[in-house]
Amino acid sequence: MSTDDIPPSSDAGEDETDGGGAGVDATPVFVWGTNISVQDVNAAILRFLRHFRDPRDAGRVDPVMDEGKYMRAIHRILELEGGESLDVDAHDVFDHDPDLYSKMVRYPLEVLAIFDIVLMDLVARIEPLFEKHIQTRIYNLKSSICLRNLNPSDIEKMVSIKGMIIRCSSVIPELKEAVFRCLVCGFYSEPVMVDRGRVTEPHICQKEQCKATNSMTLVHNRCRFADKQIIKLQETPDEIPEGGTPHTVSVLMHDKLVDAGKPGDRVEITGIYRAMSIRVGPSQRTVKSIFKTYIDCLHIKKTDKSRLHVEDTMDIDNADPNKSTEEDFLSDKVEKLKELSKLPDIYDRLTRSLAPNIWELDDVKRGLLCQLFGGNPLRLPSGASFRGDINILLVGDPGTSKSQLLQYMHKLSPRGIYTSGRGSSAVGLTAYVTKDPETGETVLESGALVLSDKGVCCIDEFDKMSDNARSMLHEVMEQQTVSIAKAGIIASLNARTSVLACANPTESRYNPRLSVIDNIHLAPTLLSRFDLIYLILDKADEQTDRRLAKHIVSLHFENPNLEELEVLDLPTLVAYISYARKYIQPQLSDQAAEELTRGYVEMRKRGNSPGSRKKVITATARQIESLIRLSEALARMRFSEVVEVRDVMEAFRLLEVAMQQSATDHATGTIDMDLIMTGISASERQRRENLVAATRNLIMEKMQLGGPSMRMTELLEEMRKQSSMEIHLHDLRSALGTLMTEGAVVIHGDNVKRV
Amino acid sequence: MAGRGQRGKKRREAPPQVAGNPQPFNTPPLSSVPLACPPPRNCSPFPSPEPQRGNAREEEREEMVGPQYDLVGNPLGAVRATFERTAAAATAESGGSDPVAAFRGKDWGACELFRSFLFEEDGLDKVPVLDASNLGLIKPNTLVRYRGMVQDMLGSEYYIGAFKDGSTWRTNKFTDFSPFSMPHPCDSHLWERHLFHCVPAPGQNSWTLESSPGPDVRRMSSCLATELREKRKRDGDNDDMDVSENGHEESPLFCKKLKEDDVHVPSSSTEVAEGVPEMNGGDHHIPGSSFSCLVKVYDMPDSQVKLNDVIEFIGVYTFDPELATPSDNPDDIMLDLIEDVTVQLPPSKVPRLHCLVWRKLSPHDFISRPPVVEPSPSILKGIRQSLLSHLTLVLGNDELAAQCLLLHLLSRLRNRVDVVTVGRLSLNFTGFNRESASIFGNQLYSLIQKLVPYSQAIPMSIEYLNTATLQPRKDNKSGRLVTGVLQLPQGSHLTFDETLLQTGSLTSKGVENTMLLKNLMESQKVDYDFEYYKLDMATDVQLLTLSEGKSNILPSDLVVPFRPSSVPTINAGSEELESWRWYLATIRSLPQSTEPETYQMIQDEMVSAMRDDRSLGCSELSRWLTMAQIIASSFGEKSLSLEHWQMVKELERLRKQRLQ
Repeated sequence: MSTDDIPPSSDAGEDETDGGGAGVDATPVFVWGTNISVQDVNAAILRFLRHFRDPRDAGRVDPVMDEGKYMRAIHRILELEGGESLDVDAHDVFDHDPDLYSKMVRYPLEVLAIFDIVLMDLVARIEPLFEKHIQTRIYNLKSSICLRNLNPSDIEKMVSIKGMIIRCSSVIPELKEAVFRCLVCGFYSEPVMVDRGRVTEPHICQKEQCKATNSMTLVHNRCRFADKQIIKLQETPDEIPEGGTPHTVSVLMHDKLVDAGKPGDRVEITGIYRAMSIRVGPSQRTVKSIFKTYIDCLHIKKTDKSRLHVEDTMDIDNADPNKSTEEDFLSDKVEKLKELSKLPDIYDRLTRSLAPNIWELDDVKRGLLCQLFGGNPLRLPSGASFRGDINILLVGDPGTSKSQLLQYMHKLSPRGIYTSGRGSSAVGLTAYVTKDPETGETVLESGALVLSDKGVCCIDEFDKMSDNARSMLHEVMEQQTVSIAKAGIIASLNARTSVLACANPTESRYNPRLSVIDNIHLAPTLLSRFDLIYLILDKADEQTDRRLAKHIVSLHFENPNLEELEVLDLPTLVAYISYARKYIQPQLSDQAAEELTRGYVEMRKRGNSPGSRKKVITATARQIESLIRLSEALARMRFSEVVEVRDVMEAFRLLEVAMQQSATDHATGTIDMDLIMTGISASERQRRENLVAATRNLIMEKMQLGGPSMRMTELLEEMRKQSSMEIHLHDLRSALGTLMTEGAVVIHGDNVKRV
Repeated sequence: MAGRGQRGKKRREAPPQVAGNPQPFNTPPLSSVPLACPPPRNCSPFPSPEPQRGNAREEEREEMVGPQYDLVGNPLGAVRATFERTAAAATAESGGSDPVAAFRGKDWGACELFRSFLFEEDGLDKVPVLDASNLGLIKPNTLVRYRGMVQDMLGSEYYIGAFKDGSTWRTNKFTDFSPFSMPHPCDSHLWERHLFHCVPAPGQNSWTLESSPGPDVRRMSSCLATELREKRKRDGDNDDMDVSENGHEESPLFCKKLKEDDVHVPSSSTEVAEGVPEMNGGDHHIPGSSFSCLVKVYDMPDSQVKLNDVIEFIGVYTFDPELATPSDNPDDIMLDLIEDVTVQLPPSKVPRLHCLVWRKLSPHDFISRPPVVEPSPSILKGIRQSLLSHLTLVLGNDELAAQCLLLHLLSRLRNRVDVVTVGRLSLNFTGFNRESASIFGNQLYSLIQKLVPYSQAIPMSIEYLNTATLQPRKDNKSGRLVTGVLQLPQGSHLTFDETLLQTGSLTSKGVENTMLLKNLMESQKVDYDFEYYKLDMATDVQLLTLSEGKSNILPSDLVVPFRPSSVPTINAGSEELESWRWYLATIRSLPQSTEPETYQMIQDEMVSAMRDDRSLGCSELSRWLTMAQIIASSFGEKSLSLEHWQMVKELERLRKQRLQ
């Protein structure tokens, strides 16, 4: 591809076109060096603008607006008089006329110049007085090229690339038309157009009477300037091959495109790739041997695809309607995702794809998947809102790869924040107020939870977190806001985050004789805010040991014996999840709702079965919310708009798997939600009540009102004689404590007195 | 500055004498190509068999291209000659249509020519190594070698690769400028080349440098600027001889011109010799370590070269004083903004190298004389024993520590599954205090320096953590990657001395640095800061920590309490050192294969080990297996057996005893 034989600027093309437009003779005019016939292209563009109809509008029969998509757009521009550009979807061009499309991509300079002229002609015919220049902005090319793959053959072609803006220059005023004034007579020259970056200063004053030479001077405020800006575009991290550094390219922005993006934005740019010879040395010899390249930008579109959670249902209302309609997902990609979702084993496949290197723990992974997909947040008209985010706590023995799971989840959810409880303070997690050292103003700074709004906040070593910091989580985990009232700032910040925490048991290893609360040593109020609490225990079991050994061995050797399980790779998984979160909003079906009620009643009943007289509360209202969220997430995994019975069943199963481990009353062996709610199991409470009653009876029996006091040890002796239960001193002490609050006894040190 | 001024003056004088020669005066006279005259030779010790081969081809084609070029002294001549020959042939074949288009991104035989010269005809030894010391001595437009780490990738550069001069196609490949003036509108092709910014590998130990220079360079580096004149003179004589010997048509005028040229060239060369190092030294302060090079690589499939690869580039060293002067074109603001990163690497400070042939360097390439060709287990066992006993002595007769150190030195990253890394074995010697760290630590480190190609010792003090730049960071303003301590070539060794750590507070930078180190320890990855995002770069670094108690900042795989019983005194002989280096490099590159029966055996062993000790977790067992594999290969065996597993268990038992 030679650059020298193509006209360096669009001027040449325009000249040709003028000739072609005016020429009545039939000889076709070709753009120099190409096989483009100006008339043909002219006609093709006119056809496209006049007659293109959006196939999406085909179903709509609207007699009033029976015009093509772009004619409507032109009318709109004329009516508003604001727009100076017409956005043309390249897909539309392709659908209408593939030949025009390929010409446009191959010879953009020439074809776009013709495009502009046709457009202006059209406008002039509709509204002869319209004077502004309307530019054509092409976007959405059929194929976008990776920044890294730009090569010399793309020069002077239309390209579409994605990247991240890393630097913007200041706005440069570029001279378009220069006006000169004669210093002798004050005559103003006609505006002089800038030709290829140069202005020719008139040597002689054009006024007949004056004709002074070298008297013309530039009048700045009469000149016309256009804005220009250069930005640097860098490859996005996902396009960089392993062991490479990102490539960059300069992009030239004109007029309206100036400041359309700021550093840090991910954008898709459509433009013309150009090369410019640079002078490396003062002598002619070195000129032109090296080129600098840049892209002349035609259209810029902001994208933010790589993030997992783009938009939530909750803020669609305040999102820019123009932007939300833009398809972020390519249709073929969506088709692929949908195909995946139809697989019968998609649930298992997703489970396998999540942290495939972490061995076993399938049910934990299923729970984590639910967390990634999330439930539907609900906001009632009354203002009450229900969170859709699922919070999960992992408690387990050391060395059960909890941290690795957390790391993996963090990687999967880029918005997420990973913190370690040991180093987190309350303000570090929520938000804090600082004084700006320069201005002295108070500034609100967001902490981890606010920063991970609409993401997953992973908190490692949850048990080692200070109580103060943990108590801050109460609000976040249920109301999903962070309230701040400090230094004159009162604010409520959104923190719609799922919390994934992991903790070691208090004695570093899980003690099965203690309750979960004692093991984790967390406030029950906080604990109940977790939808799922998994106990990952290292059980002594030959079978699991063997599987672990096999796992380690397979890590070390590329073991051909191990069957290759089909898993989704990380980008696909991320795309799958983000698509589901964005577009799938499953609703409970009637049967599912019925099943939910039935199951919930069953769960509550389970403790009250006729055999046992103990009152065991098996499930609470919080659990039913959790169940709804879980079943919604499960439906989302199948891209299903309806929550079906099987989702509810699976949600129950997940809850039970988690609960059976975490809420087993070790005294009775049944599921006991009370264990989580208050830290004391129902049977234990029963026992304490019995003891208090027995103590009361004893005191009534043995002691007189206002009589001499008794030693506690004596009382214990008596109790032991009477009761069949084994009683410890501390049991008695707590029973007496209860009686004291009732006002039945007074305790002085070791002495008990009845009052 | 004075040097540059003089040179500028010379340049203006030069053209009249070399009338019609568009060469910069200090390049070898390439003008012989258009004049169809035999090219002069510059480097005498090169009687390659190439001429015969070339002549045969020449006769076949009945073309006059002159005798073959001196590939070392005038590589561009060879490049152009092959190009013009091939292009002419292609033109004849294609019958007028664009024949050169096919050469884009392809080699037309030039690189092949060099490759066969370098590797098949032992030409490599004749190519001088470009380094800071001889930068001024080496003439521009000659073939040089450069060994360095790819520190940054600067994207690609477009240049006019081929253009039509009259009816002949000419090429600009492997050079920064066109030696022929280009007619203004002409058929031309735009080609692409990749730019790499290379620096000497960080932490490269001195022994690796000894092995690399060819015999030619030893002579060259010993030859000072004053000697250069002599050498040039002789070269010049040679040229004349060549010319007359070959008996090609030669005008006496041309001969005379050559002679005149010769008179001037040496003086200019000495100027270069004086001028360039001055500029270089003035800018960098630390010569050698900061000697960087801008390498332009051609026709490379993408991502073949990775960041931090250590590569030997063989190519054309170009230095054009004209290019060196900062170009000032204030008339175009656009240029300033679309500026190239290369602007910050002025050719006067950073030499340009147009790469013809490159190869990645492995530790093996640093070993000058391998003691044996085929690594047989019995020889490996012998070397292993001698290395182990030396390590034991250095570690004050602590055999357990020596065993672990050997395994540590042999470890390498073998596999990476998502976040799990397999094969690494970072080591933490505990029980050091400041005193013993200075005695044993220094001994140990100097031994490691002599054993591995790249190593660095890092003093872990609060001050260091708070001030050091560990993280490589992309400076988006300048477009360059600012290096950090942790930008390391694969297979580097780092020794941390944690005994220097005292209580104190870390700044945010200190915390960031510790996180980086921890991340490196745990997942063998370094986060590079790209301002708007972080990019994980996979590394393979061996990490050794010396600390008082178990280090929590740097959680190592293997913690060994250090129990010395004597003071180290001995020094190893150079022959022994060489065999150890060879041993380490060989063992680390040894492939591993394991029989399916072994899997079962290991699994059974693991299960029984878990039954005996419930505290064994996934990480411990994984480490045991790593150690067993290293032990197996340390004996030169390809697959591990029960015996090796038992050795690991014994090591672990001894280690646990110490821990209690």
